[in-house]
Amino acid sequence: MLREQAVETPALAANTRRTTSPWKRKAFREIEALAFVLPYLVAFVLFLGIPIVYGIYISLNHWNPIIGSTGFAGLQQYLDLFNFSILSSQQFWQSMLNTVIFVIISVPFLVGIPLIVAYAIYRAPFKNVFRAFYFFPTVLSATAVSAIWVFLLATQGGAINDTFGLQVPWLVDQPYAWISIDVTTVWWSLGFNLIIMYAGITQLPQATLDAAAIDGAGTFRTFLFVVIPQLRNVLAFVFVIATIASFNLFAQSFLMTGGGPGFSTQSASLYIYNQGFNALHMGSASAMAFTMGIILAMIAFFQYRFAQEKVS
Amino acid sequence: MTKTRKLGTWMNVFFLTIGVLIMLYPLAWLISTALKPDVFALDGHFIPTHFTLGNFSAILSPTSAAPVPQWLFNSLFVSISASVLVMVIDSLAAFALARLQFYARRFIFSLVVASLVVPFIVLLIPLYNEFSQANLLDTYWALILPYTSNAFGVFLLYQFFRGIPKELEDAAVADGASKFQIWWKIFVPLSIPGTATLGLLTFMNVYNDFFWPLVATASTPMRTMTVGVAIMTIGTYSTQYSFMMALTLFSVIPMVIAFLFAQKQLVQGIATTGFNA
Repeated sequence: MLREQAVETPALAANTRRTTSPWKRKAFREIEALAFVLPYLVAFVLFLGIPIVYGIYISLNHWNPIIGSTGFAGLQQYLDLFNFSILSSQQFWQSMLNTVIFVIISVPFLVGIPLIVAYAIYRAPFKNVFRAFYFFPTVLSATAVSAIWVFLLATQGGAINDTFGLQVPWLVDQPYAWISIDVTTVWWSLGFNLIIMYAGITQLPQATLDAAAIDGAGTFRTFLFVVIPQLRNVLAFVFVIATIASFNLFAQSFLMTGGGPGFSTQSASLYIYNQGFNALHMGSASAMAFTMGIILAMIAFFQYRFAQEKVS
Repeated sequence: MTKTRKLGTWMNVFFLTIGVLIMLYPLAWLISTALKPDVFALDGHFIPTHFTLGNFSAILSPTSAAPVPQWLFNSLFVSISASVLVMVIDSLAAFALARLQFYARRFIFSLVVASLVVPFIVLLIPLYNEFSQANLLDTYWALILPYTSNAFGVFLLYQFFRGIPKELEDAAVADGASKFQIWWKIFVPLSIPGTATLGLLTFMNVYNDFFWPLVATASTPMRTMTVGVAIMTIGTYSTQYSFMMALTLFSVIPMVIAFLFAQKQLVQGIATTGFNA
């Protein structure tokens, strides 16, 4: 843009004869820098910018994946979400509620267990070995993890029922279905949060920990009154990312329970997927996705603000 | 005092070890079941009474219900391609954002920041339609390209580049090096650890992704490993647990290798960025 201006303005055009013209140099610097950013910017526009705009457009239409728009709907599909006499609206909010249930039962464990384990490892010998074992499941895919637990939790002959002499219908009855998805998720991703918290603990000022020890505080009290308060930034961060990750629950519901029993473990992502790719109502599915996206952004924002306020 | 400290340490190690055993329990059963003939899959014996490698030859054979080697190839090809692309374009962009003064810098930077809060579910349907319009669904393009817009790598390398001393750059400028030469001859070599971490995390992210390849592919030969495992788990192998476990075990081999040889980089990358895309 700057270069075009430079060429079009006569006074500056005269200037360009001097090779060290500041305008020309400035324009060159701009274009040179943009050339570096351009490849990423193209990817950003094509696979993030355009999809967002296109997604809004789809949500304003009745949309079939094969033929595209089957009529302009305006904001109707958004308004319909708040009309509870419509079955799909009921089902959508039910799936949102299911997702909230999962967030509530998973986030405390996804923050609490890694926090305790991270501190225990910090105080223990063989730190790297312990950390590696707890971290390992994180590198596996959600599908591999789900498949493993589908086998472990099989009612007839599954390893867990077998080991403990139970006959629990883990994946096909409530509340067991939620417990199963919860345990699977915590086992899978606690190592991820552990890594972040462990890094946070190792960066605490050693002096405060020493001072607590000199004051005669035991391991437990040091943890409670010295480590946790000083770790609140890290904890807030983990709390936010664990909440968002749990909100995006998909593969475990898809593979372990199929959303059942009934629709009780059907997460919002799974419902939107079904609405778009099985029922082929992509317009309303898109409206649901944006509604969920906005709710998610708001939750993340308020969690973050709340955490920030507590810090200051 | 020291005696109670020592006792505390051993208690600590004891509980951590129990935790490790709980973490390993599912993996131990995964391996054990994958090594049993399918008729014994649910026999409850942790140590297989009939040991076999037949499940692996069954799932990998050309007559198997699924083209497993093809799926593995797809997954590896897609995740390696995406990682290389991401490393190159993110490094270029991070260099400009960290070290060049230009008019649009702040605007681009805030765009990139804002993109981090966009959940994938918002992009799912439009991305599908975009690739459908371009006639690229069920191709490698669809499986690779969407990952290139992820902003985490730009941040990771941005931070890395900020830490590189300005003097190195000044010396190169004095020698008449162009910006591109400065990037290629100074920043790229000095950022190899950061770039390798980014490549590794991207590889893990793409190899393990399930949601996008599930909708981006339709034909059996174009499926990736994760989608393949999913299809077989709820389909053909849903009652054949030994095959299910053998396939699952096979599917995680690349990540186990990555874990064994590059755990340090993975851990460092996660600790510094919270990368979880």
